[in-house]
Amino acid sequence: MPDDSLAQLQRGLLDLDMEAALAAVHNVIAGGNQARVKEAVDVVTRSLEVVGKRFQDGEWYLAELVYAGEIAKDVMNALSPLMQSGGSPSRGTLVIGTVAGDLHDLGKNIVVNFARSAGFAVVDLGVDVSAQKFAAAVREHGPAVLGMSCLLTSTESQLAGVIDALKTQGLRDKLKVVIGGAALSERAARDVGADAFAPDAVTGVDMMKKWSAPA
Amino acid sequence: MNFKERVLTAMNHEEADRVPVMGLIMDPATVNKMLGKKPVDFVGLLQKPVLGNQIKNLLSSNRFWNNMYYGNFSAAMQAAASLGFDANWAVYALMKLTRDPQASVGWSWYDPYGRVWELAADTEGNINVNYSRALCDTEEKWEKWVEEKAPLFETMLRNTAAFHRKLVKDHGGRIYPMCYAAPGPFENSWQPIGFVNFTRLIYQKPDFVKKVIAFQTDLCLRNLEAVMKSGVEVVLGGDDLGQKTGPLLRPELVEKLYGESYRRMADLVHQRGRKFVFHSCGNIYALLDKFVEWGFDGIITMEPTAGMDLGRVRAQVGHKLVLIGNLDVSYLVVKGTRQEIEDAVRKAIGDAARGGGYILSTSHSHPLVDPVRLQWMVEAAHKYGRYPIGG
Repeated sequence: MPDDSLAQLQRGLLDLDMEAALAAVHNVIAGGNQARVKEAVDVVTRSLEVVGKRFQDGEWYLAELVYAGEIAKDVMNALSPLMQSGGSPSRGTLVIGTVAGDLHDLGKNIVVNFARSAGFAVVDLGVDVSAQKFAAAVREHGPAVLGMSCLLTSTESQLAGVIDALKTQGLRDKLKVVIGGAALSERAARDVGADAFAPDAVTGVDMMKKWSAPA
Repeated sequence: MNFKERVLTAMNHEEADRVPVMGLIMDPATVNKMLGKKPVDFVGLLQKPVLGNQIKNLLSSNRFWNNMYYGNFSAAMQAAASLGFDANWAVYALMKLTRDPQASVGWSWYDPYGRVWELAADTEGNINVNYSRALCDTEEKWEKWVEEKAPLFETMLRNTAAFHRKLVKDHGGRIYPMCYAAPGPFENSWQPIGFVNFTRLIYQKPDFVKKVIAFQTDLCLRNLEAVMKSGVEVVLGGDDLGQKTGPLLRPELVEKLYGESYRRMADLVHQRGRKFVFHSCGNIYALLDKFVEWGFDGIITMEPTAGMDLGRVRAQVGHKLVLIGNLDVSYLVVKGTRQEIEDAVRKAIGDAARGGGYILSTSHSHPLVDPVRLQWMVEAAHKYGRYPIGG
């Protein structure tokens, strides 16, 4: 009898059926086949690309994007113990956090889920992150991209503070900076000296993929 | 025509003498600047060990909280009237100051619904407050919370009625208070639980979600009743249903989960002979027809940073909804030039005011709003908003 676990995993993700997706991934794990684990990771990556496309096309809404990300997160958590040697090559590192004074993390967490599934190594600094902490993480991890989330207009000035800290330490030219958050805009990106503004998580991850693609 | 007649005429989709101008003034930073008051460094005072606890004890008194809270909105009304606004919004909230190790300043506000509000201060010490996280992230915690807080809900409803009655009595002779019964059943159902958790529950425990919504709808209807005791003819309600690029939930799902709630809210207000205006941030084109279907009389906000264009909204829903808002608060009334403000006011009036049914306002309150720019906005509205428009 053919093993249709991977097809079932994809259906689970695209039909937003957590139970089916987890049942499928447990079948994959039970097989103990490293190659199948890698294929399962690829299925998650491809499925989230479909989810992102549906969101950008207006076919799916934020709650569906969030729930698909949650299913992917649970699936990846289940697969991760078997992924030591089976993972896809990284597209590079993303350091991400919500700026100081701001505790909102919904948008940031969606980016984290989607970026991980897209093959980025993600260093999530959490919320209320100071400029010094952002700069230290950039120095330590040498990311290709720094993502900053900022929901509150009252904390918008923190974005410029982080970029200033990167400049002072000679780190700004070594990476791309993308900002996102309800109160922000392309104007805000220009004002603070970021490379781009992402109106939503999927667009943000798409930008990162383009930046990480070989020239 | 006086301010009240002007507002009510616009609400009837008729042309008043000029387009009414409404303020969404409530942030202490804006109010203090407008009234030339020095801010109290509330967050700074909380950092002092003994004083912090004393302030907490003081604010846990219902009477003290109400006096302090009323004082801020009373000042906002006074400030808005002095700038020449015809109306200003007003909303009651009950919060408990709580020590909070997760908060950057060590304190947060906890509200009766189970939400945590982040407390911060600007460089001058003006306080600002924003929703930060949920306190009831599981079914069990939510059940326990609403059971324990039942007496607090009653206090809140009594306070709401008293707050709006007093505000209308004290300020209704100079400016029209747009009394707001906030928040609505959507925000009240997800915010105490958290959006990610709530989304999981929608798919995994739909019966629990229905129970939460039914509870919050009943509470919201009682909140509307409390607000209407002030006697105002127009009542605001609302929920932030949109995010930057579209609704948070699929419109069919909004209808399935909340349609009945919104119909009941509009029906209740209409039964009392009032009009119901709905506030929602975000990109909400996909819900405008639903708003009409649910019986709303108007909408307030239309956030330009979420892509909401006043002319497009008018084209989509015509005169089925009164439109209030749309002027940008991310730049225009923060740093915009006088010419930019004049141009934006003129465009908004041109896009939506012909035949009545438009009240000019910013799209939201905002702590960085500059009173001088609000003054320019009011002056531009007086200059370009005289009916007949463009005549």
